[in-house]
Amino acid sequence: MKRVQFRRPIFPFLLLIPQLAIIAVFFYWPAGEAIRGSFYLEDPFGFSSTYVGMDNYTDTVTGSEYVSVAKFTLGFTAVVAFFSLALALLLAVKADSVLRGAKTYRTLLMWVYAIAPPVAGLFGILLFDQAIGPFTKIAQSIGWDFKLGVNYWDSATAMVIVAVWKQIPINFIFFLAGMQSVPMAVREAALIDDPSGPSRFFHVIFPLLAPTAFFLLIINITYALFDTFGIIDILHKGEPGNNPVTLVYKVYLDGFRGNDLGGSSAQSVILMVLVLILTVVQFRFMERRVHYT
Amino acid sequence: MTDITTAIAQPPVRRRKIRWNRVFDHVILILGSMFMLLPVVLTLLTSTWDNVTIHTGGIQYSIGEDAFRNYQKALFEKSGFSQVVDGMKMMTNSLILGLGFAIGKIVISMMAAYAIVYFRFRFATFAFWIVFTTLLLPLEVRILPSYEVVQSLGLLNTYTGLIVPLIASATGTFYFRQFFKSVPEETLEAARIDGAGPIHFFFDILVPVSQTMIAAIFIIMFVYGWNQYLWPTLMTTDENMFTLVRGIKQIMQVWIGANIPDYGVAMALAIIAMTPPVLIVILFQNWFVKGLVESEK
Amino acid sequence: MNFRKLAAAAALSTAVAAPAFAQQTDITWWHAMGGRLGEVVNEIAADFNASQSDYKLTPVYKGNYEETLTAGIAAFRGGEQPDIMQVFDAGAATIIGAKGAIVPVEDLLKDNGVPFDSNDYISGVRNFYADAAGKMIGMPFNSSTPIMYYNVAALEKAGVTAPKTWEEFQSVTAPALKSAGYIPMAQSHMPWIFTENFFSRHNLPFATNDNGYGDGETKILINNDAIKKHFASMKSWIDDGLFGYYGTGWGDNQAPFERQEVAMWLGSSGSFGGLSQSADFEFSATYLPYWESVTTEPTNTFIGGAALFAMSGKSAEANKATAEFFRFLTSAKTQYFWHKETGYVPITNAAYEMAQADGYYDIKPAAEIGIKQLTLPGGEWTKGYRMGFYVQIRDVMNREYGKLLAGEKSVDDAFATIEEEANKLLARFARTQG
Repeated sequence: MKRVQFRRPIFPFLLLIPQLAIIAVFFYWPAGEAIRGSFYLEDPFGFSSTYVGMDNYTDTVTGSEYVSVAKFTLGFTAVVAFFSLALALLLAVKADSVLRGAKTYRTLLMWVYAIAPPVAGLFGILLFDQAIGPFTKIAQSIGWDFKLGVNYWDSATAMVIVAVWKQIPINFIFFLAGMQSVPMAVREAALIDDPSGPSRFFHVIFPLLAPTAFFLLIINITYALFDTFGIIDILHKGEPGNNPVTLVYKVYLDGFRGNDLGGSSAQSVILMVLVLILTVVQFRFMERRVHYT
Repeated sequence: MTDITTAIAQPPVRRRKIRWNRVFDHVILILGSMFMLLPVVLTLLTSTWDNVTIHTGGIQYSIGEDAFRNYQKALFEKSGFSQVVDGMKMMTNSLILGLGFAIGKIVISMMAAYAIVYFRFRFATFAFWIVFTTLLLPLEVRILPSYEVVQSLGLLNTYTGLIVPLIASATGTFYFRQFFKSVPEETLEAARIDGAGPIHFFFDILVPVSQTMIAAIFIIMFVYGWNQYLWPTLMTTDENMFTLVRGIKQIMQVWIGANIPDYGVAMALAIIAMTPPVLIVILFQNWFVKGLVESEK
Repeated sequence: MNFRKLAAAAALSTAVAAPAFAQQTDITWWHAMGGRLGEVVNEIAADFNASQSDYKLTPVYKGNYEETLTAGIAAFRGGEQPDIMQVFDAGAATIIGAKGAIVPVEDLLKDNGVPFDSNDYISGVRNFYADAAGKMIGMPFNSSTPIMYYNVAALEKAGVTAPKTWEEFQSVTAPALKSAGYIPMAQSHMPWIFTENFFSRHNLPFATNDNGYGDGETKILINNDAIKKHFASMKSWIDDGLFGYYGTGWGDNQAPFERQEVAMWLGSSGSFGGLSQSADFEFSATYLPYWESVTTEPTNTFIGGAALFAMSGKSAEANKATAEFFRFLTSAKTQYFWHKETGYVPITNAAYEMAQADGYYDIKPAAEIGIKQLTLPGGEWTKGYRMGFYVQIRDVMNREYGKLLAGEKSVDDAFATIEEEANKLLARFARTQG
């Protein structure tokens, strides 16, 4: 906090009231409801509800599907984060090194940021469509019998490609900014010490980018876990069948499509714990970074 | 943070390097740009064709003759029993959501961040934690109970119900807190010597120095609000309240359904849904990049 | 069944709003009929409003079946339920189980002086949305049943006729169609066509407790040799190029038939209207095949689609208005209009007779297949099923069938998993009702 501060006993509360009120009603109340609801089995129409203790949790965790959905979510998150970070880093390094057209490249590589995930999913459906999709045709011409919506791993491939496509721009912006903030003196010194490109990159530039990369890693994990919902919903056309889904999508399927309120709440609470862990890591890191810069 | 638009002066050594490296760099960048562009270009081209061509021939690689019809239909053709819903109505709703969310978020979070950074008061730490715990839980994981709450308040299918629950997270507050902390201490000291009170200080000094930050956050939040999907999908069932992105769900009926799908119009609507945020990001990219990079530090 | 039709964005309604009168009672109807179906719904509502001046009905499209049910449930919890709600077959247990949420349609009609006799309804329709004693709870609305469409030219080219049994399909029809260059068959909804109606067509019990209609605990009887043999056969047909599987999506499986790559397609009788527009070749339809090795006396299929439920908590005038609308809706004239426009079956004998008398089936014999199949002789297990959390049970089926057909799981394992998970869901549902 600031060393110098105003001292007014009431005024800051007035400033905080709108935020606190909204948070109380639309955050703490629903979060509390989720926790409460996870211990009950309730008739969808609300006529009766039975306290069932931990049953919703045990039913969730012991379901054959939950473990495989969790595993897929982990793998999906790792693959999406890796490829969108790696490709964005490659592009940022190149965009940083060219002079001609640098600004045009930057625009071309970042604008997809503004596209909504479900719109991205719609593009995905077109490109990967079983009958009319160009990607499907290319895949088939090299002997890959690609079938979106039929083969589990083909659907997963489409999900990853669309999710990565949508996430490259934001990573690109951060990497490029991170690189361009490396002081000139450092770059020049590095160039004299180590004229070979790749080695210079890994020994000098990359360590300086590491904080950005770590921060982005968290952002990308959150993205793959939560923001890919729209992509998945559209690619699966609302009927997942034997196609891979993520944990968040399963919360929606069971709660909203299936009206199993208790089971869905239990899954929400499990996700809350997961995000709690993730955020503690992020928070500690961000605070540290702010102190040191 | 260095403004990344500033081209960095290259040391002379670099010029003497073999040009092939440079060509290779450009090849990678062009491939990357094409990878980003291609899906959108193909959709754009296909959206100018008639349904029969798309139904039988798939994605089109040239411009067709039905562009006017498809876009006209997507924007202006009324549908539904009430005969009031068209693309323009959905666009209006998207605008209300985007603007309402961005403005609401900025106002509320600036006030809260101001209180947290510039005031010493009882329970300050407690308030800080109350607010920042919300960063823990994205709306997606508390979506069902949030829906219940909004429904029990009778806010389903209202703009309030659409916008306010999305604001209930501290991201904006967190950004402004970080920014205010980076504002030099001397600013406040000087202001106090001049005898400025908290309201004065806020409007005459803090808001002006925050302008770029506000602009950047506005763009980020507008895009975020405009692109919301899950929440509007769940809580707007009245077609008068549909946003363009929510309308994508309706578009999907094209691929699921058994009638002749109106592919051209569906793709036109997708293109319309992405255009406003894309334009804003491209036109104001300098602000946007600055804000994105600074706010998430 | 699941007809998620054309985007609302593309829909052009011909509805005309009726002028408002001082003493009018307004009622609302939430439905899941998108696209062309939605337009027909709007026409029916406009006709009802024009036919009298006491009541005004407003239909509201609420998305697909699942979304409509969820929206209705949420609205009921908030005390803002519509007067009439359309609920699909898989949601029947949920809404009928919630006894205080709805007014049984039979009571509603009788209380409001609308004559009601369940024998007026065709036999296949009468029971599905009724309780164990046969009292009608929901008013069947868009009623369909799975039938087999075929490309007439394709079958001629292959020199075969539409198969009556799966044995015939396997040994005669499919190989001939394959040599003629077609993928012989595809289907659009495995839980509905190859599971629920498999049990009905062969008169096999689908669940304990009188297929779930009785009170008390219900267990699914899906892990059964007949259906396992069917899926084992289907898997081998796919491997041999005798069957096409295009995923869980309805349209993904229908499209190859429309493109004339697939010669026969198992879809809904309600697909007839849409198919007439989208298929530019001659097609016809016939009954769903059966296994001669399982039964030599195949029985009727279930109705699918959805029913209209009168929600409780409404004023006497609103209930009266709903009853009057149901009277209008079930009139032979309205039913015949609905049948002709959409392909859904007429639900009353009177409407069926009207269509026959009008010579409609002489012009379009395929349009009669659905209703004829529904009125085939029934058996002990052919009136329907009633299971809770059934949307999720269907999701489990789709997932396991997908695994089975992809060769990731054996038939035995897949069915064991479906049985186990479905029973777990049924037990959970039973506890929500306790």
